[in-house]
Amino acid sequence: MFASSPSRTAAAADLAARIRPVASASARLLPVTEPLVTLLPDGALRRGTTVVVAGAPGRGATSLGLALLTAASAAGHWCAAVGLDDPGVVAMAELGVDLRRVVFVPRPRGAWAVATAELFEGVDVVLARPPARVAHAAARRLAARARDRGVVLLALVEHRDDWPIPADTTLELTTASWHADGRLVERRTEVRTVGRGTSGRPRLSSLLLPGPLGAVASAG
Amino acid sequence: MVRLVVLWCPSLTREGPRGEEPRRFAEILDAAIDLAPFARPVRLGVLAIPSKGPSRFFGGEQVFAEQLAGIAGPLVGGSGRVLVGAAEGLFAASLAARASVFVPEGATPTFLSPWSIATLRDPDLAAACQRLGLHTLGRFAALEEARVLERFGTEALRRHRVARGLDGELPGLRDTVALRRLDAVRHRDEPRAVQGGFFGERGAQDLRAAAAAQRLERQLGIGAVTVARLSGGRAPDDRADLVPWGTAAVATTHRDHAAPWPGRLPAPSPAAIPSRALAVSLLAEDGARVTVSSRGLLSAPPARLELDAGRPRAVAAHCGPWPMSERWWGSARRRAHLQVLLDDGLALLVRAERSRWWLAGVYD
Repeated sequence: MFASSPSRTAAAADLAARIRPVASASARLLPVTEPLVTLLPDGALRRGTTVVVAGAPGRGATSLGLALLTAASAAGHWCAAVGLDDPGVVAMAELGVDLRRVVFVPRPRGAWAVATAELFEGVDVVLARPPARVAHAAARRLAARARDRGVVLLALVEHRDDWPIPADTTLELTTASWHADGRLVERRTEVRTVGRGTSGRPRLSSLLLPGPLGAVASAG
Repeated sequence: MVRLVVLWCPSLTREGPRGEEPRRFAEILDAAIDLAPFARPVRLGVLAIPSKGPSRFFGGEQVFAEQLAGIAGPLVGGSGRVLVGAAEGLFAASLAARASVFVPEGATPTFLSPWSIATLRDPDLAAACQRLGLHTLGRFAALEEARVLERFGTEALRRHRVARGLDGELPGLRDTVALRRLDAVRHRDEPRAVQGGFFGERGAQDLRAAAAAQRLERQLGIGAVTVARLSGGRAPDDRADLVPWGTAAVATTHRDHAAPWPGRLPAPSPAAIPSRALAVSLLAEDGARVTVSSRGLLSAPPARLELDAGRPRAVAAHCGPWPMSERWWGSARRRAHLQVLLDDGLALLVRAERSRWWLAGVYD
C-alpha cells in the first residue's frame, strides 16, 4: 500500500507542486494569432469561456471567427466549425488555419446545440453559428457545459443580442471598409471588445481582416 | 473469485443536460485511487476495488468502506448519496452496493438468491424465466446446468453461473463507452505535447476528436461531419472541398494544390462559399444585363446587383473580371469571376458561366 505511505505521498506532492503551476497555466489558455492578442482580455482564448463574435454580414464576423482558430489549430488543438454551411476553406488556409485540425459540421439541421455539445467532448475550440436567435436555456446550457469541459465556445451571430446571456467576451465588428486596387486588397475593420476582463470599458481595435495576403493583420 | 468493494453514486450514473457527472465521478475515482491504487471504474457512477489489500491496510473491510464513503460523499455534490457494499465477484458486489450490504465471505450465493431475474441484463431470458415461474436468481440458479444449456443456450449458461455466484462478470456490466469518456475527462487538463501528424501518427487528442466525430456522425447521419481538403484549381470553389470524415486519408491522389495555377484568383479569398448555385442578376446603369465577351471584357460597368431575385442593391465598385477558359481540349468550361463591392460595404464574388451570373463567394 505504498500510495498511502507518508514518505511516498510527500515526494509525489512535492513533485506535483513543482510541475503543476507551469503546466496548468499554459493548459488553460489557447494561443491566438499575434494581431488578435490585443482583442482578448487574456491575450488568448481561455478554456471554459464563451466568446461571442457579432457582426452584420459583410463586416467580417466569419473571418474573425475563423482567424481566432489559427494559432490554436497550428499548435495542435482540435477545432470544430458548426453551422457554417459554406465555409471558405481557401480563406481559412490563407488566414493560417491548420485545416488538418478542423472538423466541420456544416448543416447540423435542427441539432446545432446537440452537435456543439457533442463536439465539446472531442475538441478544444468550437466555432458555432446558431441558425437564429439562441434560446435562453440552450445558451446557458452550452456555456455551462463549455465551462465544465474546458472548451472555448465561439458563438458567431449577426447581432450581439442574438446570444441571450452575458458572454465572457464579446467581439463586435462595428465598421468595415474595403480597399480595392484592381482587386479587393484588404478590409479595415473596427472591433469592439466588451467583457468581464475589460472592467466594463469597451476596448477598440483596428484590424485588417483580411489583410492583402489573406491573413489577419493589425491596422495600426 | 475476487472479493470486491463497490462504491455506487446513484446521482452520477446518468449524464444530465449540464454534463457535469463524468467530471464529478472522475474526481471521486481519483480520490479513491489515492486511497487504494487498484480502484477501477465499472461504469459511470460505479467503481470497484479488490477488498483484500485495503482491508488489511485499514484494519477491516468496513473501516475501509467508511473511509471511502467519507472521501466520496462531499465530492458527489448536491443531494447525491454514496452507497458502499462488498461481495465476491463484480455482479454480486454491485448488487451489494445497491443494498449497502457487506455480504459475509462465502455467503454470496445466498445473498444473490432473492434478487430478480431481471438483474441478469437479458430481457429475453428474463421473460422466458418469468413465464416458467422462475422469478428470482435463486430459482434460476437451482436449475441443472444441462437443462439450462438445452433450453436457453450457451449465453444463458454464462448467466446461470453468475446467478449461482460462480462467476462475477456479466456482458454489459462494464460500460466501455462510458469508461473511455471518463478517461478523456480525467486526462483533459494534463499538458499535452503538440501533435505532429494527422492520419497515421495519432495522439490521444486526435483519438478523442475522432471519437466525438464518430458519435456525431451516428446521430446526424453519414456525411454530416466533414473535413476540408485543399486541391489544385483556380477559383475558390475548385480549390477546396469538404469530404466526409474519414475519407481524407485517400486525398493524396488529388490535384496538387501547391502547384502553380496560372490565372488563379488572388488572395484574399471569400470566407463563405455557397454550396449550392445561387443566381445573381448584374445590371448596368441603363438596366441592360452585364455580360462578359469572349475576350473577357465586361459589356458595361455593373451598377446594380440582385441576389436571388431580391431587391436590387447598388454596386459601389467592381474588380476584374478574371476570365478562365479551362479544358478547351475536352469538356470546355468557360467562366469569368468578378469582385463586386456593394454600397453597404458587402463584398461578393460572382461568376459568369453559361451566360448567367452566379454567386461564388461572400467576403464576410
